[in-house]
Amino acid sequence: MKRRRFFQTLMVAPAAPALLAQQAAAPPGPANRPPAEDSKIETVAADLAGEPVLHFFNAQQFAALKRLSGILLPPINGSPGALDTGAAEFLDFLMGESPADRHQIYRLGLDALNAQARKLHGKLFAEVDAGQADALLAPLRQPWQYDPPADPLAHFLITAKQDVRTATMNSREWNSAGAGSGGRRMGGTGLYWNVL
Amino acid sequence: MAAKDYDVLIIGSGASGGMAAYTLTKKGVKCLMLDAGPLVDFNRDRVLKPVYELPYRGFGKPGRLTHVLQANEFNANQWVDETQVPYTHDPKEPFNWVRVRMIGGKSLFWARMSFRLSDYEFKAKDHDGFGENWPISHDDLAPFYSRVEPIFRVSGRKEGYPQLPDGNFIEDNSPDSAAVKRFSAAANERGIPVTKMRRSLGQGQFASSFNLLLPDAMATGNLTIVPNAVVRDITVDKNTGLANGANLVDRHSRRELHVKARVVMVGASCLESTRILLNSGIANSSGVLGHYLHDQFYISQSVQAVMPEARGGAAGRGFGGGGYIPRFRNLKTKEKNFLRGYALDFSMGGTPDAKYYPLYGEALQKAMDADRGAGFSCTTMGEVLPRFENHVSIDKNVTDAWGIPALHIQCKYGENEFNMAKEAIATMEELCHACGWEVLTRHDKMFPPGYSIHEVGTCRMGDNPKTSVLNKWNQSHDIKNLFVVDGSSFVTGGSQNPTMTILSLSMRASEYAAEQMRAGNV
Repeated sequence: MKRRRFFQTLMVAPAAPALLAQQAAAPPGPANRPPAEDSKIETVAADLAGEPVLHFFNAQQFAALKRLSGILLPPINGSPGALDTGAAEFLDFLMGESPADRHQIYRLGLDALNAQARKLHGKLFAEVDAGQADALLAPLRQPWQYDPPADPLAHFLITAKQDVRTATMNSREWNSAGAGSGGRRMGGTGLYWNVL
Repeated sequence: MAAKDYDVLIIGSGASGGMAAYTLTKKGVKCLMLDAGPLVDFNRDRVLKPVYELPYRGFGKPGRLTHVLQANEFNANQWVDETQVPYTHDPKEPFNWVRVRMIGGKSLFWARMSFRLSDYEFKAKDHDGFGENWPISHDDLAPFYSRVEPIFRVSGRKEGYPQLPDGNFIEDNSPDSAAVKRFSAAANERGIPVTKMRRSLGQGQFASSFNLLLPDAMATGNLTIVPNAVVRDITVDKNTGLANGANLVDRHSRRELHVKARVVMVGASCLESTRILLNSGIANSSGVLGHYLHDQFYISQSVQAVMPEARGGAAGRGFGGGGYIPRFRNLKTKEKNFLRGYALDFSMGGTPDAKYYPLYGEALQKAMDADRGAGFSCTTMGEVLPRFENHVSIDKNVTDAWGIPALHIQCKYGENEFNMAKEAIATMEELCHACGWEVLTRHDKMFPPGYSIHEVGTCRMGDNPKTSVLNKWNQSHDIKNLFVVDGSSFVTGGSQNPTMTILSLSMRASEYAAEQMRAGNV
């Protein structure tokens, strides 16, 4: 019924006077409504209707990434944190789409993080306490260098620090909370170019 | 048949092609302009979107536009798709060929930094013995710079620097902030000049051939523009040896067509023009076509610092602004480790990126909040020496989406550039310390060649037909009715953005061509 009304509306739209003139008689049915009332069809984005299906990381890697993301960017001053915005879930999707060199950074780094946690504390990174986790993230307290570190764990942590921030601050939840910085790349709005 | 002969065929609609059309049509010359891209409707082809609605949350589609570091997920479609128009290079020696195909070309998106070259560039060989001089001097080009600058509404502060000639400016008399004054004082004490950025204000949202040149050319009734026309090659009359038109492929239908003209002016951008000439097999009796590729090396955010007194919300009270340091090395003194020089542009008032802090979580956020608006950063732009071995050629094994052979680019920086970069960063760090600012980080790692989008030199001009492709009028030594009017004609590039020089050369060459046509010489 809605579909039928939609096409009826199109037929009386000002953009189609020639077509209207060709009609021999008005079709039977309810009276036409003004276009403004009828032409609104609301949709929602898929990520508002469904849950992410994870493909890229194995269970241990994903658990470590999720824990890490919550530490890297917790909720601060009313802004949602990485866990609230599904940053780890988004990164699982992004890594699945990424070239092999990015796969290596994440997989080797997360495996190294879990291996370190197991070696020092007999647990996976997702299970260590806050103090233990902080100690494992020591490479993030080193001064920034242009060239990525040779150590896979340090390389991964530096990469993840940036990626988790971007995934969080460019999320719908961050924007809805009014936490957007206004920047085009961080939670803001920009001019998107259609395919030319 | 609608097809007809035109006086001049112009290939490309950016700064150089647009200026050729602007100049020639006003002299009554009938021009046909071809561009490989569409005419963009900026209201229809761009839409406002929040970043969370983009498929990749602003990260961009992984693996797309790997050479275009300027691209983001919003503007990805404005750049040439590398899968559609590929090029090749040694994997160990990347070249970032950044391209735009649409009416107006790259002039729609440039950073608008608007400088003249000086005789330190035009007569560089006289100064330090390296390479070749241009066949022209600043005096030859000055009248054209002076006419171009008002069209683009260049603002700046007149300084009288010999290495950065003043222009026909809209005077920028805005006061410097306290932070800029402090930085300038520290620089001046060391003999380093600091001035206002020189920038094209343009009109409305653009400073482009799209809005400043092509509308005037169209208004003459002498310009016909064909969008989506991908030029395969330039054709030559076998009897006369003169260029007589070009073969093109329609971007959408891939239908092949030939257009005819009395004179051909190529302004498709440095490397695209060179590719067209190489694919045409013309204008290369010298053997230097495609050689001497150079640009400017760029190191962005080469020094990141924080102004301590601007911390904690004090920023904004005199801590904003920025400026430009023109080349100051190797003018009256001689550096031990490198020839030529570099320029720097700096800005204050931003907030350093999170990656520069050795922190995370709440501690990171607190530090960034405290430093909001207290940041200092600079970009280094260094002159690259033109070398024969840095060159492009045709890769016969790779073609683009229209079956046109692709370009192979072989280009790398050398010791001169690396030494210059090290010295530039050390100097900038010293200035920050002298101002009492805390240097968060510094690095001297250049982007790959091509990043600056200032590639020049592959059809260089000169008086000697054995060592140059063009004469001093941007006219082919081999084919007198063929002109190349873009940055490929440069002999040296200096450290200045090349756009004002490209525009001025194109205006000068176009006036010369019109006169030669009137006199019946071409």
